[in-house]
Amino acid sequence: MSLKIKNLSKKYGAGLFSEGTEIFREVSFTLEAGKTFGLMGPSGVGKSTLGRITAGLEKPTDGDVFYKETSIFGLAGAERTAFRRKVQLMFQDPTDAFNPRKKIDRSIFEILKLIKIPEPERPDKTRTMLETIGLSEEVLSRFPAQLSGGQLQRLALGRILLLEPAFIVLDEPTSALDVSVQAQVLHLLKQVQEKWRIGYLLISHDEAIINFMSDSRGLLENGKLRVLD
Amino acid sequence: MQKETCVHEKEPCVYEDVELQREARVRKKACIKKEAYLEKEPGIPDVGYVQKKAPGQKEVDILKKAPGQKEVDILKKAPGQNEAYIKQRTWQEKIPVFRQPIIYLQKYGKFLGTFNRAGLFLLLFFLCMALLPSFFAPYSPAERFTPYEAPSVSHFLGTNDIGNDILSELFYGARISMMVGFASACISTLIGLTIGLLSGYFRGWVDELLMGFTDVVLILPKIPLIIILGAFLHPSVWILILVLGLLSWESLARIVRAKTLQIRESGYVKSARGMGFSPFHIMSTDIIPNIVHVVLPKFMLATASAMISEASLSFLGLGDTSMKSWGMMLSFAFSRGGFIREMWWWYMPPGLCITLCVMAIALVGFGFEPKAGDTEKQVVDI
Repeated sequence: MSLKIKNLSKKYGAGLFSEGTEIFREVSFTLEAGKTFGLMGPSGVGKSTLGRITAGLEKPTDGDVFYKETSIFGLAGAERTAFRRKVQLMFQDPTDAFNPRKKIDRSIFEILKLIKIPEPERPDKTRTMLETIGLSEEVLSRFPAQLSGGQLQRLALGRILLLEPAFIVLDEPTSALDVSVQAQVLHLLKQVQEKWRIGYLLISHDEAIINFMSDSRGLLENGKLRVLD
Repeated sequence: MQKETCVHEKEPCVYEDVELQREARVRKKACIKKEAYLEKEPGIPDVGYVQKKAPGQKEVDILKKAPGQKEVDILKKAPGQNEAYIKQRTWQEKIPVFRQPIIYLQKYGKFLGTFNRAGLFLLLFFLCMALLPSFFAPYSPAERFTPYEAPSVSHFLGTNDIGNDILSELFYGARISMMVGFASACISTLIGLTIGLLSGYFRGWVDELLMGFTDVVLILPKIPLIIILGAFLHPSVWILILVLGLLSWESLARIVRAKTLQIRESGYVKSARGMGFSPFHIMSTDIIPNIVHVVLPKFMLATASAMISEASLSFLGLGDTSMKSWGMMLSFAFSRGGFIREMWWWYMPPGLCITLCVMAIALVGFGFEPKAGDTEKQVVDI
């Protein structure tokens, strides 16, 4: 199973009377199950945009993304929902990852409700998830602001894992964390990948992290993607 | 190490490096603040640094803190209780209507200043007047006595041109005035919230269409339009509520749209969209709870301004003569000789009531506004 990105181009602000600004053009690469593709590049080059397009949250100006040999932008209804769950996103700022007005348990239970887990099974599911990410059940009764960045980033990963995704777009997952916590989160990501054979698109401007995590790497620069190996 | 702890000393630290010196000054300020908060409890060193540390280090510090400090209070739970917590909430938290106010009060318990508390009491007083006029009023508003009577023991505020007791009229009028205010504010808030949410969330052509419409409504001259509508339509309180409500939602819609655009780009909304939650779910549980603090003060101000509009329209004679509001009382006092005879007990009380009630509502509205730096984070960190 793979996620094929083919000839993607993106323009912002294009309309009837303006050409728009081209962010990148004809970007192609493939995400494999259980492998990590590391995407590097300077700030503002369109890495995050590429990530959002890969996850189907945004539409490209040109080109396509193929999941199981079908274009994700042509999907509708149930198929689209299924795809949405199979490709998930994880963001840079962990303090922003959970609704500040909801306690963690509510955020988690809403997801379990969304994927139609019957109510009696929900506490068990939650417990298993917390074991995987290595947090105690105490975190459930807290508001996001009462947890640390590392805990929140783990929870963000755990929340995604509940949906059993095939691919995760990691948009600078550790740049808001300090070094020791970065290492913990990266190791956790590796463990999770080995266990469930999830494919990662790792977006980062930190070469060390990319080298540590990736099986193949690409450099997005001047609107072009250069696949390094 | 010596240098690190010297912020506790009374003398300023002297560093050769300018940068270091500046840093030490900042640290000292933070420390003094913190000490004041901790009431100079000696055993706890350097808590002032907690907020400055990287996010990842925070939980260790929180756990290390002495009992009796805020963090522990917020949790209010022993570690052993967590399993039970997963299965059930307390009964108050189970009822959705109760949950938000409880959480809100737990966190922002001191959200009303003394001045606003005065506003709250005034508003409660007027609400009691509006809800239970028969309890306060000495007579029925339709009962007739000698006309144009001056204040006396049997009629505290005298009687009007047809012999109605003015005090009783005042109590019964509260209901009409406040009903018009709150009902039209409800209508305008509902419309403004819906339009703002939809255009902020869906953007694109929906946004352009709805905001274009909003701009058109925004430039309509309100009072002349209401006067024309009031003159053409049969004057009644219900029409007044509808007209006031339908013409005063634009500013709220614009504010809600701006906030929605901002929250839409936050991590939790983006991931909720990525997970496939419905737009309705995202709007109702992720966006609305995070803009309540903007909507509530606007709602209160809309109530106040609707009450003023109602009073001015009634004074112009466009109100419902069968339902006597405070504005209507003023209008009658003006047209039936209250002003000429200098019967201050006829025209002063309704005017005062309108002023005080509008002030009370506005003060309570200000109380709902978040104070500077009143973010979630600081509430927890304290």
